Amino acid sequence: MIWEVFRQEKVGGYHTHCGNVHAPDREMAKQFAAVQHGRRKPTNSIWVVPRDEIGEIDAEDVAFGGTTDKAYRWATAYNTTGTDAREVVESEDEQATAEKQRGDD
Amino acid sequence: MDLDTVKERAGPREFSPADDLPEEYRKAATRMIEFHANSEIMGAYLERPFIRQAPSIDRKLAFSAKVQDEIGHGQLLYRAAESLGVKTREEMLDDLANGDGKFLNCFHYPMADWVETPMIAFFVDGAAMRRQATLRRTSWEPYAHAMDKVCFEEGFHVKHGEDILKELMTGSRKEQQMTQKAFEEWWPRIIQFFGPTDDKSTHHDFAASVGLKQQSNDALRNAFLDQYIPKARKYGLEIPDEPRIRERDDGTYEVEEGDLDWDEFFTIAKNDYEPGLGQIDGRKRAQEAVQWVRDAIEGDATAAGGHAPQAAD
Repeated sequence: MIWEVFRQEKVGGYHTHCGNVHAPDREMAKQFAAVQHGRRKPTNSIWVVPRDEIGEIDAEDVAFGGTTDKAYRWATAYNTTGTDAREVVESEDEQATAEKQRGDD
Repeated sequence: MDLDTVKERAGPREFSPADDLPEEYRKAATRMIEFHANSEIMGAYLERPFIRQAPSIDRKLAFSAKVQDEIGHGQLLYRAAESLGVKTREEMLDDLANGDGKFLNCFHYPMADWVETPMIAFFVDGAAMRRQATLRRTSWEPYAHAMDKVCFEEGFHVKHGEDILKELMTGSRKEQQMTQKAFEEWWPRIIQFFGPTDDKSTHHDFAASVGLKQQSNDALRNAFLDQYIPKARKYGLEIPDEPRIRERDDGTYEVEEGDLDWDEFFTIAKNDYEPGLGQIDGRKRAQEAVQWVRDAIEGDATAAGGHAPQAAD
């Protein structure tokens, strides 16, 4: 049985998917996950989820985001001033990074 | 966990639904997040008519995207509040519809014209984001997680609002005058966004001591003035004489609090303000109009496996 593993690095962070383990039951899955995914990188908590419990849709089922150009939805589409408030600059940087990463991995 | 332990441990994203937290903490957090969620929803309803009134297709697209975002933020926040176990989402939505739910003062005032849109989409959202950025370090983890997504999207709203402001202030003479007039009307309300001064704020001390709130009302307001007064001037808006704004020696600003209408503010806070009641009624009618959708979803989920769906999670 395959269990998908989600690792949380620090208290309060997100659990992000980091791989999977083969195990007959939840207890073993937790142990294997701790060994395989919790040792090298700093880890605060791990979730294991039976793969069967995960619902999936992919690009063949759904045209994610449709086909319209959604550039208007990005802060980076508006070049208004160079001296923005710190929090707006932060968001813009995050959006620029996310925009660059679209299509990657 | 007792209250002293909570205060001792209180730090960014420290507590999550797995923790056994005292009633006081849960209530204070629910109150704060529910207020925030209600404000997102009421802001969206205030802005919704302007999707149709927007002057170009680009503006319509961007404005409808913004309104969608705000509703989504409301849903995320109800979820974060619900996880405290004090009130259900249903109860919060009902309270909002029947006038018991509290929300931000700025969203009680009706909006009549397109020139008013940047007052919300630039100044109010800018003020909101100033506050939300600090809340990414709040002690209730689900709230902080919601803020990550909210702040990410809010950047677009502020930039879009600023773009509208720029367009209006570089437009015809009439547009400029109308925008200035809207600014004069909205400016005091925008300054009141951050709530009463620290010495009059009843909830601040507790919320700060358990790590829910990260900065005081005064600190947030002053930081907002420092950023947005120069921006307003840059686009040619004149800052009204009242409320009086003082520039300190170091170039930062503070407002003469006595010049603001706090009676009106507290009337609004109690949901007793006449124009604001129209906003609440409008929301109530919308809530009732889509009851059949919620019923259908719930019926469906019960048939499928018994547990209720978490819409828009």
